[in-house]
Amino acid sequence: MITYILKRLAIAVPTLLFLIIVSFLLMHAAPGGPFTQERQVPAAVLANLNAKYGLDQPLWRQLASYIWGIVAHFDFGPSFIYKDRTVNEIIAQGFPVTLTYGTISFVVAVITGVGLGVAAAIYQNSWLDYLAVGISIGAQVLPNFVMAPLLLLTFTWWLGWLPGGGWEGGQWQYMVMPVIALATSYMASIARLTRASMLEVLTSNHIRTARAKGLPESRVILKHALKPALLPVLSYLGPAFVSMITGSVVVDFFFSTGGIGKSFVDSALNRDYAVMLGITILVGALTIAFNLVVDILYAWIDPKIRY
Amino acid sequence: MVNQASTMPAAALTGKEVKGRSPWVDARRRFMRNKASVGGLIALILIGFIALFGDAIAQWSNEEIDFNVMGQALQLGGPSISNGHYFGTDDLGRDLYSRTLQGTRVSLMVGIVGAFIAVVVGTLYGAISGYVGGRTDQIMMRIVDILIAVPFMFVVILLLVMFGRSLFMLFFGIGMISWLNMARIVRGQTLSLKHKEFVEAAEATGVAPLTIILRHIVPNLLGIVAVYATLLVPEMILLESFISFLGLGVQEPLTSLGALISEGASTIYYGTIWQLGYPLLFFVITLFSFFFVGDGLRDAFDPKDR
Amino acid sequence: MTMNKLLLSTALSLGLALPSVAATVAEGDKLAENQNYTYWLLDAIKSMDPQINTDVEGSGVLRSLFEGLYNEDQKGALVPGVATGFDLSEDKTVYTFKLRDNAKWSNGDPVTANDFVYSWRRLADPKTASEYAWYMELMQVKNSAAVIAGEVPPDQLGVKAIDDLTLEVTIEAPLPYFPKMLTHASTFPVNQKALEANGDKWTEAGTLVGNGAYVLKEHILGEKVVMEPNPNYWDNENTVIQKITALTINDVNAALTRYLSGELDRVDIPAGQYPTLKEQYPDQATSVPQSCSYIYMFNMDEAKGPAALKDIRVRKALSYAIDRDIVVEKILQGGQAPSYNWTHAATEGFAMPEIDYAKWTQEERLAKAKELLVEAGFGPDNPLKLTLNYNTSEDHKKIAIAVQQFWKGIGVDLTLNNMEWKVHTDKMQNQDFEVARYAWCGDYNEASTYLDLFTSYSGHNNGKFFSEEYDKLMKESKTAADPNPMYTQAEQILAKNMPMAPIYQYTKVEMIKPDMRGMGQENLMQNWYVKDMYRVAQ
Repeated sequence: MITYILKRLAIAVPTLLFLIIVSFLLMHAAPGGPFTQERQVPAAVLANLNAKYGLDQPLWRQLASYIWGIVAHFDFGPSFIYKDRTVNEIIAQGFPVTLTYGTISFVVAVITGVGLGVAAAIYQNSWLDYLAVGISIGAQVLPNFVMAPLLLLTFTWWLGWLPGGGWEGGQWQYMVMPVIALATSYMASIARLTRASMLEVLTSNHIRTARAKGLPESRVILKHALKPALLPVLSYLGPAFVSMITGSVVVDFFFSTGGIGKSFVDSALNRDYAVMLGITILVGALTIAFNLVVDILYAWIDPKIRY
Repeated sequence: MVNQASTMPAAALTGKEVKGRSPWVDARRRFMRNKASVGGLIALILIGFIALFGDAIAQWSNEEIDFNVMGQALQLGGPSISNGHYFGTDDLGRDLYSRTLQGTRVSLMVGIVGAFIAVVVGTLYGAISGYVGGRTDQIMMRIVDILIAVPFMFVVILLLVMFGRSLFMLFFGIGMISWLNMARIVRGQTLSLKHKEFVEAAEATGVAPLTIILRHIVPNLLGIVAVYATLLVPEMILLESFISFLGLGVQEPLTSLGALISEGASTIYYGTIWQLGYPLLFFVITLFSFFFVGDGLRDAFDPKDR
Repeated sequence: MTMNKLLLSTALSLGLALPSVAATVAEGDKLAENQNYTYWLLDAIKSMDPQINTDVEGSGVLRSLFEGLYNEDQKGALVPGVATGFDLSEDKTVYTFKLRDNAKWSNGDPVTANDFVYSWRRLADPKTASEYAWYMELMQVKNSAAVIAGEVPPDQLGVKAIDDLTLEVTIEAPLPYFPKMLTHASTFPVNQKALEANGDKWTEAGTLVGNGAYVLKEHILGEKVVMEPNPNYWDNENTVIQKITALTINDVNAALTRYLSGELDRVDIPAGQYPTLKEQYPDQATSVPQSCSYIYMFNMDEAKGPAALKDIRVRKALSYAIDRDIVVEKILQGGQAPSYNWTHAATEGFAMPEIDYAKWTQEERLAKAKELLVEAGFGPDNPLKLTLNYNTSEDHKKIAIAVQQFWKGIGVDLTLNNMEWKVHTDKMQNQDFEVARYAWCGDYNEASTYLDLFTSYSGHNNGKFFSEEYDKLMKESKTAADPNPMYTQAEQILAKNMPMAPIYQYTKVEMIKPDMRGMGQENLMQNWYVKDMYRVAQ
């Protein structure tokens, strides 16, 4: 197990390196730079700007010094657009926000999704099942950029119950709509997965044995069926968490939460090289970490798996 | 477009059927017994039919502006038979009916081509890796491990920003995201096929490895590939809609369901609800159908049921 | 207008106190209890450093946190800021500003002429690498070009402190509108002590030292900016608004929803929604002229421009075929003016020339356009094919789609090419386009801010229109006693050569809470000052 984890961590390094290089080159291949403006900056000023941010260096040197900055000082450089901030500061401000509503959405999605899926499986082909399946597919195909304005319209304008956006240090009123908008489609996927695998487990031999032993149904389900049924769900969670961070673009856009999702898209559009790279690396690292955690959990739940 | 994709497994079925013994017939029977899946298939065929031939009854093209309606979408742009805008118009006075049809065509195409790229690349990659085995297998799978950790949505955004938006870039980006899982699954299956008699027989008679992969391994993977392909299509369509939301989708006057929905969603505040409603309806039905068909196929091919 | 004339004349004596306007509560207005003001920002504020900031929204915040030599009143006329008046030398190249003696930084230090010297040098200094360094050049401050290029040290810049309260600025050549340029945020002073103490971090809430009516309380990137009155501000007793909150909301529609549910006091109205909102909220929906002009630029570059666009008849035909009334009445619907020239019509002192096609009916224009295209050799067997570049935005897209249809009507096959902003700008600056959307907003309220753009020596003449006659005219206008007739002539040259197709002139279309006063809407530059605002009791 330990060697496995170490091996996985060893892959993380080339992965991140690959990510940095690809993003870096893509970014620099794009037309326009961070200082491309409608009011064209005079050549002399542009030269000064490039000198200040090291953009006058050959590409490989920029890349090398960027990587060195990260390795040696954990310094992701200055933002080229938000000039009074560094990338570390931008991430330090935005990431906790994204992480907070992302994690809450994630937990909400897992709990409601599993609940819905289990209920649907137990009462297969009842109205509850149909309802659950209907809700989950409906929620899965409704894009969150449709959901967000609908929520805003309902809760802020018509009902006037919730503030239309902002973060305010993470007070609950400000979190309700972001969490609903973000969690719904994952809840749906999880419910579908859970239902399918629960159905499979419920017809398996060991459940039949458990029932034959005369155990109460609730015990059968909680003790014997749930754990194996969650295995396929578990492997979905790794990628899901990451795509939630990507999906946070929509939340940041509509609800002004100030997370890193919007920062990423902005940085790509503004050619804010450093911010874009910083966030890409962060999300890449998270992906690796989360996939690893999921694998470990997997092994822990299912002792048959050996690495 | 749709017809081809949804009947692809069916076509494969009939091809195999001739040869006699077949899990394919079983699979088809199982599939046909699943009402939701059959319903989904019918809905898909219908949507495909409307998307392809619905233009025949359209009175406006997808780019013509109805200057009588332009600027008064709320008052005059609602769905109406009399002025020929069956689904109403957008804010500019363009006919939503023909735009929705055209958008559906683009979305389906993106979904199907994206899934196709994923399937071809994923299957070949996985089959080669699994069949060749040894060091090659290890390296190829390490590469997949590395790529899978790349937040590809980010890379797609970058690609579109960098190289300008185009259908090609969309396909390329979307296809690139999705072949990785396919490759893993196919490799797993290949490993189990590798030591089957027919493969060993082919090897013994000196058939070239690539031919073995293409002739003997890949055809035996078609079932599982078809299932994943069907489930990939709606994912691709959803992805495209997200890209359209970011403003990086296809060029005007072309549109996609994602772009239409995104536009419609931004105007629901102003009461022009049909601008969201009709494209969303097509979108939802298409995705539902693909999910149902995919689920049905999975159940039909699921070895555990046999 | 009269006030400006007064300021521009050399007769203005030192220390002549003009009435200060800070929140002069109109007679009969009763102040409301709640004096908080919340407004909308489309994007995060990029920088709170006056010399680093480059965008309009940032300037809005800077006008609250800092104060330059002059401010603008409700109608855009100059009123004293830190300066109380100036003397102008005989040859009109040396301005001597007298500064008020009660101006203070938010840390209590007095604001001196040295602060301005420091800040202006900082703007031009290559080490600062300011993207707005060119503004010093635009102001023609002596040696600014050489300083920016790094050829001479910043202390050679034509600005010096005679004593603590006297600032002397030398400019290269007489510039009649020089004082008007002093309200620009990049000329605001910064506090050297604060800068040196905190380095790049000096603009954070808590460390930022300003001389404006407000101090920064909180700045969360992408969420909000909060400001409160600055007790050290010289005119603080006349500041009424007690708390400013600027909320970043990226989606215009979401912003409007939040305005309607009472979270904001001022927000932009998305294109097309003004008529409905005006009907529902007649006391809140407003539309006032704003100094920006929207055009489609033609690429006439020797090497890279398409051959067809070098034909004046083609350019005219394309311009004639655009139905501007449809664009403003059916797409934008916010009271924008259809445009047939380049300079915004409401620009101070600008006299609109006679432009023939402005008075034709659209049918006449279309007929003429078709005729011209045929003359130029295009027709059904040889259709004109062009590409239009525009950057991602709902409004640009709608106009582009409509123009595509207009041009289709005269047999032009237009391909739309939507790209994101940086790519669009980059392609324009490299003449890598055929027709491109372009808009220009005036830096100051005078026609030259527009017209200079089409000179051959302008850095922004991306379509590469060259006319010796035009260049000559614009050069002469710089020293003319009354340049306005020349501006009118210049516009006529543009109309004759049609290097671009004018489309419309901007209005600021907004929702403003009915109890807000002093919003500065009549100011064409839309330079409002929160210190002038107040809420009335209703």
